[in-house]
Amino acid sequence: MTDRRPRPVRVSGVELSFPSRDGGRLPVLDGVGLDIPGGGIVALIGPNGSGKSTLLRVIAGLLHPQAGVVTLGDLPIVAPDPAIGLVFQEPRLLPWRSAAANITYPLELAGWPPERRANRLAELTELVALDPGVVSNRPAELSGGTSQRVALARALALEPEVLLLDEPFSALDALSRERFDLELLRLWDRAGTTIVLVTHSIAEAILVADRVVVLSPRPGRVVADIDVELARPRSLGDLDAAIVSHTAARIRAHLGDPAAAGSLELAS
Amino acid sequence: MSRGSFLPVVGAFLVFVLGWQAVVVLGDFPPFILPGPAAVAASFVTGWTDGTIPPHLGATLVEVGLGFAVGAGLALVVGYTLARSALVERILSPYLVAAQATPILALAPLMALWFGPGLLGKVVICALIVFFPVAVYTMVGIRAVDARLLELGRALRATRLQVLTTLEVPAALPSIFGGMRVGVTLAVVGAIVGEWAGAEKGLGVLINLARGSLFDIPLVFATLLTISLLGIVLYLIVVLIERRLVGAR
Repeated sequence: MTDRRPRPVRVSGVELSFPSRDGGRLPVLDGVGLDIPGGGIVALIGPNGSGKSTLLRVIAGLLHPQAGVVTLGDLPIVAPDPAIGLVFQEPRLLPWRSAAANITYPLELAGWPPERRANRLAELTELVALDPGVVSNRPAELSGGTSQRVALARALALEPEVLLLDEPFSALDALSRERFDLELLRLWDRAGTTIVLVTHSIAEAILVADRVVVLSPRPGRVVADIDVELARPRSLGDLDAAIVSHTAARIRAHLGDPAAAGSLELAS
Repeated sequence: MSRGSFLPVVGAFLVFVLGWQAVVVLGDFPPFILPGPAAVAASFVTGWTDGTIPPHLGATLVEVGLGFAVGAGLALVVGYTLARSALVERILSPYLVAAQATPILALAPLMALWFGPGLLGKVVICALIVFFPVAVYTMVGIRAVDARLLELGRALRATRLQVLTTLEVPAALPSIFGGMRVGVTLAVVGAIVGEWAGAEKGLGVLINLARGSLFDIPLVFATLLTISLLGIVLYLIVVLIERRLVGAR
């Protein structure tokens, strides 16, 4: 979509804490640094509470770190930016709007005229392979997978350079999730956006990403940054390759999983 | 209403009318104490055809309409402010609750004293009585707006006005209409009470006339019937608008 190459995202020295109930501070991110090349795919993995989603919100400009900085190209990100699209864990659709009106919601907020919105809607439904028969349905009438497709289309509406995904397919069953992972890759191929994917699944991380970044338990720090040396385009069959087992074992070891040593099991 | 649910409704109404007639017959009440359904129906029809009821209904309708519009309009603004500012809520809520706890019956003569026997006093009373439920339901509805949707709005750089019009109001609409349903029926009560405290026209005035100088008890009942029907029709109008605006979710 965008002709110019996406700018790299640089996270450096990000520290963030939330106020805790006893009046102190609860550190969530502890000096996180991360370089994401423009157009690349990086998976963020870590135990619950490692601050993966928090880090994603910092990159999205929704949370302000107490220290450190996130930049897109040369520009520091201090507020939500149209160049960054965000997909949440749940579809988060507006229940009173049709699927189509949910997809074009960002365009409406940005002041696009109706005709231009309609054209973009057609591109987007095609891009995320949304069944045209359901675009006039309300979210309550959509399946979980279809809802997440709508959410993905909404995140892509303004042609972002960076797409942030917060465990987007975790509510889907395992088979649908694998299908969505492959569709995400196809979409990345076409749209050329940088992708940061937060996931709980080692298999998903390896299938999708160039690099898997492992965060420690709270407060989150980067404890490993592992390249996935798997040629593209990838398919589900690639998950059987020896290099995958090896990569998975390395990730697992950094996740502090005691079963890591011998286990080659990939399901998360 | 579906065809299947129509029959029980009609049946229940018939049981009510027959029960009423039975009480009149068994108790041997004279019409000036408790008129039977036939006498009331006859008075209702005459009251409408000979032009007794319509001008009074018109006066009450204007009071209710204006009072509801003013009261609900203010309540939307105040309810939203209460929801979004803890300080405003702490300062204002004691007064709001106190105003609501004061019987409108006690306030009505004061309003008549301050605003005169004309339209204004009734509009003030209606607005006062409508205000509380609409403000509270609006506050509750706005507070209940899903924080995750607000985060979405922030991520999409929605302006404050866009957040209000595209997220908060649509999300709170079912709750706001709940308050309006309560409010619109209370507005009728407010208008009648206001008219009792002093007026020249209105259904409340007609009840006083029929009971006092005319001593036409069937007309009292016919007027009460008109008031109930007014309440029901206004309630249904609110429900219809709600269905249009809220729709299926």
